Amino acid sequence: MELYKKSATELSQLIKNKEITSTELVKATLERIESEEKSVDAFLAVANEKALEKAKEIDEKIAKGEKLSPLAGVPIGIKDNISVKGMNMTCSSKILENYIPPYNATVVEKLIDNDIIPIGKMNMDEFAMGSSTETSYYKKTKNPWDLSRVPGGSSGGSAAAVADGEVSISLGSDTGGSIRQPASFCGIVGLKPTYGAVSRYGLAAYASSLDQIGPFARTVEDTALLFDVIKGYDTHDATSSKFNYGDIISSLHNDIKGIKIGLPKEYFSEGVDAEVKTEVMKAADIFKQLGAQIVEISIPSTDYALQAYYIIACAEASSNLARFDGVRYGYRAENLENLNDLYEKTRSEGFGDEVKRRIMLGTFVLSSGYYDAYYNRAKLLQKQLTAEYADAFTKCDLLLTPVYPSTAFKIGENIDDPLKMYAGDICTINVNIAGLPGISLPYGKGKDGMPIGIQLIGSKFSEKLILNVSSKFEEAVGGFNKVAVR
Amino acid sequence: MKIDIKHIAKLAKLRIEDDEIPKFEKEMENILSMVENLPPLEGSLTIDENNCMELREDEAAPSLRRDEAIGNAPHKQAGCIVVPKTVE
Repeated sequence: MELYKKSATELSQLIKNKEITSTELVKATLERIESEEKSVDAFLAVANEKALEKAKEIDEKIAKGEKLSPLAGVPIGIKDNISVKGMNMTCSSKILENYIPPYNATVVEKLIDNDIIPIGKMNMDEFAMGSSTETSYYKKTKNPWDLSRVPGGSSGGSAAAVADGEVSISLGSDTGGSIRQPASFCGIVGLKPTYGAVSRYGLAAYASSLDQIGPFARTVEDTALLFDVIKGYDTHDATSSKFNYGDIISSLHNDIKGIKIGLPKEYFSEGVDAEVKTEVMKAADIFKQLGAQIVEISIPSTDYALQAYYIIACAEASSNLARFDGVRYGYRAENLENLNDLYEKTRSEGFGDEVKRRIMLGTFVLSSGYYDAYYNRAKLLQKQLTAEYADAFTKCDLLLTPVYPSTAFKIGENIDDPLKMYAGDICTINVNIAGLPGISLPYGKGKDGMPIGIQLIGSKFSEKLILNVSSKFEEAVGGFNKVAVR
Repeated sequence: MKIDIKHIAKLAKLRIEDDEIPKFEKEMENILSMVENLPPLEGSLTIDENNCMELREDEAAPSLRRDEAIGNAPHKQAGCIVVPKTVE
């Protein structure tokens, strides 16, 4: 049985039917990781023994006839900015090389409560700053469809491992597209939930008003089930919401006749490759065949979103990353004369160039004399953009857009041109700025044979509808669940 | 716009070597010229009353032990974190 090709739901069902044990699945997963990692490099750490211990516990529960959750017994990859107690968490930075979290993130507690097994920590751009996973201090993850290309980022390891069948599900975080863009590059499903839907307790903060944890999977059902596990109010995250989603699973296959899907014209600008636009329009036709009505929408401030994003994100990053000072945890430089020396040397030796650039940009826009011109204006634009989306959702139920202007680019292609790298985020950042949920679904291929993604965006807390419409789309195209071939 | 990288780095507690300054200067200036063209916007920024953050009750609850809390400190002694001299 080729277990690595199966969805998490199928795997959990096999365990419950006693066709395989969770221990067998974990062993098969570890073997798959060992052989594939030679080429893909998605993992920073693998939890061999702990995962096997946990699998044994689950097998005992099954033997006793206990009723288990829908994804029980299945291994999961965790982005390396999410705390798993006792497992090294580096955020792909030298500055956290030896950091071992003494507690679990809330999402990890929820996984464990649902008998989902953390099997490893996934490579990422350093502190989630990047769109290609190339800014990682440790290794470059490759796109499993073509090893000369990037997997996207910043959650590149989480996406590549799922696309390659090393795991069936993983967790990432999305501040400006860091779940949806790698999902698109790797041909899988990635959901960025509504701001506040999933607790960030235990997530290393990058830009606190934009960060959100979310699931990767190869099917919509797995994505929905994993989102169902991790969502919910948490007293440890002051921005966490008490919104009650109800049952998001039983509605997955509901009819979507009469639903209105908007095409925001600003997302189809010159900067987006023709082949990407073509696939999105073909997807629109499929939604039409499913009974949806397609309407044209405008979000005028889209053209300024990139500017606002980099100001807000970097301002918050410069403040959040002040905690890495060499005192309480992580790397500390040597031969220090005084406290200032400790701060400056530790941070200069510990952070990579991209992190330094963003910290300095953030420091600049918040500095005396520039605050109003930059930060304040960016926050006003955020307010305006949020209002424009709210208005759009009075005219339609969901928006359909590209995820990224192109397919996955080559390793090294954009890394020396930060501005070009930033510009690619144009189709994903709005969702973070406005606090909305968005999903990336695989659809079509480019001339280079690489996957293309389409994005569905909804109003706040509309994940139930997004997942329902995504699931119907998946059915209509004959199913996603494809492990990468190369 | 010209950026004083040395000054910004000092504010950010970073040390940028002299030979790296031109590269950072150029990159930062390019990024700033991108972010500069935000439209002039009117309006005020107020906190959304319907979406205010809620603080949890201030109740005693199990927490990290001292050795766990400082377990990651790079230099510690007798249950304390050691840092270089802070007062001249």
